[in-house]
Amino acid sequence: MAGSTRLVKALYKFKMLKTTKNPEELAQIVPIASVYTVKVLDDIWKEDGNWDVLLEEKKRSLWDEMAILHFRASAAYRQSQFITAYRHQLDMYNAFLREFQNMSRWAVYALFAISKDLYDLARRADTQQSMVDSQANKVEEATRAINQGFSACMTDREPLLSKSRKWGTYHMANILFGLYLQFKAYNLCNSMIRAIKASELPSLDRFPMSDQVTFRFHRGTLAFRSEKYSIAKEDLLFALEHCHRDAYKNKTRILMHLTPIMMMEGKMPHSRLLRRYPRVRSIYGPLVKAVKSGDLQTFDKQLRAVEQQLVSLGLYMATEYVRKLVIRQLLYKVFLIEGRASRVPFSKFQAGFAVAGFPQMEIAEVECILADMIFSGYVKGYLAHDHGLAVLSKQMPFPRISTLHNNPSP
Amino acid sequence: MNSGDNYGTSTNWWDQTQQPQPPHSVNSTGGNVLAPASMSNTVASSTNSNAQDWAQYYQSLEAYHSQSKHLHQQNQQNQQVYGYTSNSYSNYPPSEDYSTYSQWYYQDYPQQKQQQQQQASVIYSNATPDTSTQTNVSAAVYSSQQPSSSSFSSYPQRNPSAPQFYNNSALINKQEQASSNSAHHLSQNGPDTSVHHLSKDNIAFVNSRRSTSATRGVTKGVSNMSLYSGNAAYTDAPWRQPATEQAPLYTSVKIAKQKKNKNGEAGGAKATSKGVEVPTTQQHPLDGINTDVSSPEWPNSLKMFVERSFAACSIHARSKLETQLKQIISSASNNKKLHTIDWDDRPLPKACDLIPKNNVFSLPAKRSSGSAGLGGSSFDDFDSEERKERRLRRFQQEAEAAKKAASDNALASIPVVPNKEDVFNWDADTIVGTCTKLEKSYLRLTSAPDPSQVRPLPILHKTLDLLKKRWIEDNNYTYICDQFKSLRQDLTVQRITNSFTVEVYELHARIALETNDLGEYNQCQTQLKQLYSMGLPGHVMEFLAYRILYFLYTQNKADINTAFAAMKPEEKQNAAVEHALNVRAAIATGNYHAFFKLYVNAPNMGGYLMDNFIDRERCIALQKLCKAYRPKLGVTFIAQELGFDSIKVCLEFLTNLNITLLESSEQAHYVDMKAAYPHAVAAMKKYEKVDIKGQIY
Repeated sequence: MAGSTRLVKALYKFKMLKTTKNPEELAQIVPIASVYTVKVLDDIWKEDGNWDVLLEEKKRSLWDEMAILHFRASAAYRQSQFITAYRHQLDMYNAFLREFQNMSRWAVYALFAISKDLYDLARRADTQQSMVDSQANKVEEATRAINQGFSACMTDREPLLSKSRKWGTYHMANILFGLYLQFKAYNLCNSMIRAIKASELPSLDRFPMSDQVTFRFHRGTLAFRSEKYSIAKEDLLFALEHCHRDAYKNKTRILMHLTPIMMMEGKMPHSRLLRRYPRVRSIYGPLVKAVKSGDLQTFDKQLRAVEQQLVSLGLYMATEYVRKLVIRQLLYKVFLIEGRASRVPFSKFQAGFAVAGFPQMEIAEVECILADMIFSGYVKGYLAHDHGLAVLSKQMPFPRISTLHNNPSP
Repeated sequence: MNSGDNYGTSTNWWDQTQQPQPPHSVNSTGGNVLAPASMSNTVASSTNSNAQDWAQYYQSLEAYHSQSKHLHQQNQQNQQVYGYTSNSYSNYPPSEDYSTYSQWYYQDYPQQKQQQQQQASVIYSNATPDTSTQTNVSAAVYSSQQPSSSSFSSYPQRNPSAPQFYNNSALINKQEQASSNSAHHLSQNGPDTSVHHLSKDNIAFVNSRRSTSATRGVTKGVSNMSLYSGNAAYTDAPWRQPATEQAPLYTSVKIAKQKKNKNGEAGGAKATSKGVEVPTTQQHPLDGINTDVSSPEWPNSLKMFVERSFAACSIHARSKLETQLKQIISSASNNKKLHTIDWDDRPLPKACDLIPKNNVFSLPAKRSSGSAGLGGSSFDDFDSEERKERRLRRFQQEAEAAKKAASDNALASIPVVPNKEDVFNWDADTIVGTCTKLEKSYLRLTSAPDPSQVRPLPILHKTLDLLKKRWIEDNNYTYICDQFKSLRQDLTVQRITNSFTVEVYELHARIALETNDLGEYNQCQTQLKQLYSMGLPGHVMEFLAYRILYFLYTQNKADINTAFAAMKPEEKQNAAVEHALNVRAAIATGNYHAFFKLYVNAPNMGGYLMDNFIDRERCIALQKLCKAYRPKLGVTFIAQELGFDSIKVCLEFLTNLNITLLESSEQAHYVDMKAAYPHAVAAMKKYEKVDIKGQIY
């Protein structure tokens, strides 16, 4: 049998889209459950009563092969055979990538679509597989394939920038971020950022805003993980400001990271912000209060209470630094109680710590904390060890933290 | 000999033993369900020279552990008595290697050293949970070689009140004295506390105040203890000695037989060879089944079972039967199944079938095919009464010997046959080495490994023992590192992943820490992380703590975050891990006071890791001191705050940073903090970039 005429027509359509380089329409029909694909499969089913025609092996061009594989994947997908669908989609993806080498910018949209499908199918296939055995590693396999798609974009040598596949780089990178973070493969994320930095891409602000925001959010959180808070702050602030205004969840995610950084710099979240984002409030609200009042005990208690949440989000270490502000506030309180005297014995600070829940703190440790405070500029003055007292500066012994220009990270 | 063949055939042999019943024995016993273990084993082992290879190897190891040349020679004589055995061995050159090796070995390492090592291991094992896991681990290596218990889940739990740990109080006291002596000059907290630590601490590393000046002394102590941590052989030594001396003359064939024997009895004899039960049965060999019969705990059905067994047994096989019954019953009582086993339906012990079984040998076809070593001339009168008698006697002896050997085996704990359990992802491409040299220098492979250059697991076990000794003896790290790398390579190319692998990596990691070879340490650490994640037992917590400290050294904050996020609450409770996390917190919050306190109290070998970044932290702290204190600060205080053990060392540190002291009296030195600040800042420059040696990404 010569095969279904409907299929032949569909293949012809794929071929035409390639020759006419029609980005929108190709990107519209390649998704696994696109309206067009569903219709073609319906028609073939009506014609033949089965989809056997898809399985007929014939010598075809690579592009035809890709199109057939797409229909096979889609057919399996409609039968909920995700493992089979994934296999076909992976083959199709690789076939597409080979064709992709000779295509230009117009094809990146199709690449985005099939990358997303590949990931989605891999996830579903793993779920299906894990019911049978534990050999569920298709997402990793898919990630490797998508990574190839990413490098196919990034390493394009097209001299004409307007036709370069490089315009797909950041979008692919964002897909990969999502995948890598799933495996907690942070080093892969970092090496990807390094690779992007090393390649000659158009500057990030020339890319679509959605790509920019997502990419900078990921870069920011990764910098956050490495405790490079000033870099993280820049990226996260950008993401927050340019995020789509309705993207409430995304904004919450950004704020979760941004809040401790801002707190380190002495900028407490406004009560209006906390009201609007209850999740942020539930974690940081009590901490903010404790920082303001210098209540070390409450701060530690709240930190322990939310420790598990913070740790799982990778926020714990950053929030821990905020403790320094609480200590600063506590020392300030002692200073006030001492009547703003410029000479405060260490024992007074020790008493302050005792009240704050550290009754056993030695003088040496108090000195150490004071030295650290003076070193980081939270306190102005000096320590006279032999006299056992701290000599505080006449003007502004406790400068406003937001006026300190040093890096918030110690 | 090709290694693949070697392994393959011995695996076949393995499979054979697992079949309950070779065909010829079915014929002879007329469909009796239980195969005559002794017979079928003899056939199995004599038909398969590879089985004998392993058995022979085992034998030489046995001699090695018995520490008696005399016994070894006796064994050799014994081989000659049984003509066919020695015949089949004659074409096996390695056996000679082993015997010479074991002789050489004991000449080189006299008794004195042995005792030292015993001490080290005894103090090590007088402690609690971690130690017992350790012994378990080593027990597991070996028990996994037993066909009956091939998975880790079933390895024996060592009884915490095992005699070897506590009976030797003299040894422990001695060791405590020694450690308190060594602690005395190290510890400013007082020797008492450190001794207390020793007995209380999970891992009895020297847990006293560490200092650079005393590092050397500590090093030796740690190396002794850490090296002998997993060495069950030496822990066992004091009480194992008499048992070994008692060991009868046996040939290697018997071991094979014992294996089969246990296998055939489907779980019946499982527990006997394990753990600490064995010595007691050995010390009172066959102390009367009959008196046991009257034991009130025994159910009636069991008594009937014993009586039936004796009735069905020939006079010749009586001793054998007693052995077997004892085995069955003790294992049942160990497993608390005395009352649950249906004794009425249980098949009688094999010894009861002994007489009909003899007919196996009257099948000429089997014999001719199976006994290459048997002289053709003696073949004719094979069925003569006299020969039958002799065979019977021989098998009885063998059965007893094999039992003893097997029980020794569980403790002497050297594997006989390479086990698929040891190899991760076993497939046809997995190679098994045939090299029998113990030492091999490391060469990075550029092609597929050659089996003749690769040492199989049993050899590697011996290699490790040798390396441990070498390290104590010579302390030559270049040699040790090279050897360990080749050892690791051999494990890798053979894909051996078991607790032995863990032991090797842990040891190398510790030695690398001790010699400050962080590159090698990190390689081992990376592997260990993977091995632990596969569920292999080891010192997970200890190395988790090291990993955190290593991250602190490399200032890899992102990975600390990851590790911290992945940690379970109970892991954070562990003393070593908690210490490492506290170190992290101290650095993060800039609390140098707490940091240096933690430095001097680092558990395990954490101090060695901290040594690597202690100067960096000192410089940071000094910077803070210089910035905060005015106008001057006493060196005594600086030394105290920066964790120096003496003012002298602190002065040295300060002069190295070009910090000049104020003119003052000889007793009290002072530093002008304002003048010192630029020097402290300059000192930080060299710490801006961490030198990561051998870091693998």
